[in-house]
Amino acid sequence: MLFFRSEEQVDAWCAANAVPKRPLVTLEQLWQLSLAWYSTRLTPDARRPGPDEMRQIFARIGLDGPFWDPQADTF
Amino acid sequence: MDFDLQLRAAVYRHFAERAEAPALAEMCRVMRTPPAEVKAAYARLYARRMLVVMDDGESIRMAPPFSGIPTQHVVRANGKEYFANCAWDSFGIPAALHADAEVVSRCEQTQEPLRLRLGTTGPPPSTWLFHVVVPASRWWKNIVYT
Repeated sequence: MLFFRSEEQVDAWCAANAVPKRPLVTLEQLWQLSLAWYSTRLTPDARRPGPDEMRQIFARIGLDGPFWDPQADTF
Repeated sequence: MDFDLQLRAAVYRHFAERAEAPALAEMCRVMRTPPAEVKAAYARLYARRMLVVMDDGESIRMAPPFSGIPTQHVVRANGKEYFANCAWDSFGIPAALHADAEVVSRCEQTQEPLRLRLGTTGPPPSTWLFHVVVPASRWWKNIVYT
């Protein structure tokens, strides 16, 4: 889970490391994801989102498809 | 609340207050429990995807979004300097702390520094991007790599 200066740099890094290019996430999307995932993490009963919650969180910020599906077999 | 969740809360409280992982002895003191019981609870919390411990079974590697070891993702908030596990977690720390923060990281391809001020409303407009290679269904198969 890494930062890149631009899509060109993502392309170059994926090629150099022989890994597939995945959906790109803007920093605003990443912030919304972080709020949904972590804003209650310091509360005593905090827990990681379950699969259905994960799908809802991803979909709400525009991240959908099998890559973001926590129970997908193919992507 | 069960013992494991009380321990988890104590670990997170320590990270938030000290910006570092707690030593096993410290958690034993706080929980008034012998080391073997704390280590067993750490293993159960890993199984519940709440903590990651190192091979010694007692050093906390990850309490997401906090990292127990130095990384390239640094977050300055509340007068402290935290390490995040990854790019996502570098935003996760200010989200968890509900605090303004400075995130310092880099472009993985060019090594160009990234320095962002995050307020409670999030990052300023930016053309930087976040990319993850591992699909969501496989994140915890090797969470350190992810």
